[in-house]
Amino acid sequence: MADTYNSDSEPTTRTLLRRVLDTADTRTPRRRRSARIGVQKARLEMPLSSPTKMNVSRRSQRARSIDRLARVQTSGHLDEQTPRTLLKNILLTAPESSIMMPEPVVKPVPTPQVVQSSRRKSSQGSLELQLPELEPPTTLALGLLAPGRRKQRLRLSAFQQGVDQGLPLSQEPHGNANASSLTSSLNLTFATPLQPQSVQRPGLARRPPTRRAVDVGAFLQDLRDTSLVSPDPGKQAQLLARKAKNVDAIAMSFPNKSSAISGEDGVDLLQDGIDEEAEERMEENLSVSEVMDTTGTQGSVRTENSKGYREMTEAVETNEPKGSSEDEDISDRRASPELASNTTQSPQARRPQFLEPAPPSSTAVLSSEPLSTRLPPRARAPGSRPRQDPHKTGLSHYVKFFSFCAKMPMEKKAVEMVEKCLDRYFQHLCDDLEAFAAHAGRKTVRPEDLELLMRRQGLVNDQVSLRVLVERHLPLEYRQLLIPCAFSGNSVFPAQ
Amino acid sequence: MAVSGVLSQRTHVRRKAPRTFLRRLFRRQKPRLRLETGGDLLVHLNCLLFVHRLAEESRMNAFENKDGVIKKEHVLAAAKVILKKSRG
Repeated sequence: MADTYNSDSEPTTRTLLRRVLDTADTRTPRRRRSARIGVQKARLEMPLSSPTKMNVSRRSQRARSIDRLARVQTSGHLDEQTPRTLLKNILLTAPESSIMMPEPVVKPVPTPQVVQSSRRKSSQGSLELQLPELEPPTTLALGLLAPGRRKQRLRLSAFQQGVDQGLPLSQEPHGNANASSLTSSLNLTFATPLQPQSVQRPGLARRPPTRRAVDVGAFLQDLRDTSLVSPDPGKQAQLLARKAKNVDAIAMSFPNKSSAISGEDGVDLLQDGIDEEAEERMEENLSVSEVMDTTGTQGSVRTENSKGYREMTEAVETNEPKGSSEDEDISDRRASPELASNTTQSPQARRPQFLEPAPPSSTAVLSSEPLSTRLPPRARAPGSRPRQDPHKTGLSHYVKFFSFCAKMPMEKKAVEMVEKCLDRYFQHLCDDLEAFAAHAGRKTVRPEDLELLMRRQGLVNDQVSLRVLVERHLPLEYRQLLIPCAFSGNSVFPAQ
Repeated sequence: MAVSGVLSQRTHVRRKAPRTFLRRLFRRQKPRLRLETGGDLLVHLNCLLFVHRLAEESRMNAFENKDGVIKKEHVLAAAKVILKKSRG
């Protein structure tokens, strides 16, 4: 059929089809199909039109449409070609920005071959000490190298520095790269130590390296800990000892000697409460405290310890209840003497109070957080949190909203009044929802119950629907969850 | 299936609803009942509207007494009215 048709009628269509078939390369099956579909459509249309007496103009129009189809297809092919060719061209001709490419190193090789030897020497020097020795060779390098090559050299130099850190090399390309590093050093004299980092982790190139001030005091203490502490049976003992030593250090370095002494007493008392490890720790503490006496007088240690003290106090205040519980946890035998020690220490001055819960708090911080969940806290020590707190913090969200809506200053009593109102409101709300759900014979409260509630409250009318309120008052993310919306793929979210 | 099935982890909702707080309240009050996923957002909406009305009412009370500061009595009187309204 197709052959007969092709043999028939206008040469224009035939030539067009031939053109289409020729241009339809083996690219994508889509193209073939579309070409075929176009062909089939044309074939279908033409036999339909041929029996009916149609005007030549219409046929020519159809031919033109087919022509356009063919053109579109061919142009589509062309369009498809050009981006590809463009990309290829880009890949071929673009300057080598990748650091790992060894090829571009070959390019600068032929040009400055004369000065290689001198550069090698200087490069070897640069390997050892970059900054001071770079100055004399840089003048040479500047004069010889083309300025256009600098960009490549910059990155290469970075790469080479990274490589040099790992591998010792003295090959030609590396020599050249080191020479290039000299030029880069001119531009970024003080940035050279930063570059290897950027090579290794390009994402962090912009960040300055975060360097924490070294806590010399803690470092020294740790050194002494490792030297002094004999292998204890339990890790807790080690940690306790270390932290007790830290606390002792703090106590020593603290300006008030009396408080320090009382703190020491407090620490000792605590340790007396703990049976087995007490003696060892006492010895260690005394020895370390003697050592720390000498170091504690140093100003730097003091400042660091004062900083650590501040941190500890913050940690203390947060961990006091934990600390009290953990003490009992660890000692495991005599809760009462520890409690007694705690309570005897509580009426003392504030600073020793901070100091003596410091060891239990620190132990709480380190080792006892998993333990805290196991044993319930027996006694709510004086530093216990009131239970209302999470409730009030949750309510505070609405209280803040109240003060925002009121636009006027409010008294504190008024704020408390608002909290009471909110509590009562929530009670009413829950009761109503329960009633509505029970009325519907359900045990789950659904959004329909909520809508009914709002309708009864008068918020939702025939004029104002729930969706309008949702759109007015809730942010987008919640709106999306509440109001069903149609998405692509014939799906509605949330499902109705 | 859907474009935004769940709040993606990255989006920080600017005006957040204390959803866990509300669910905990509901559980404390009515341990037998359950609350659906969309329900607690509507509860939050309800709370917002309640607080809004309360604030408006107490502000009006303070204006009537020609007071520049909202006091306890204003809030109390306003609460009486609004709680009665929102009894349902």
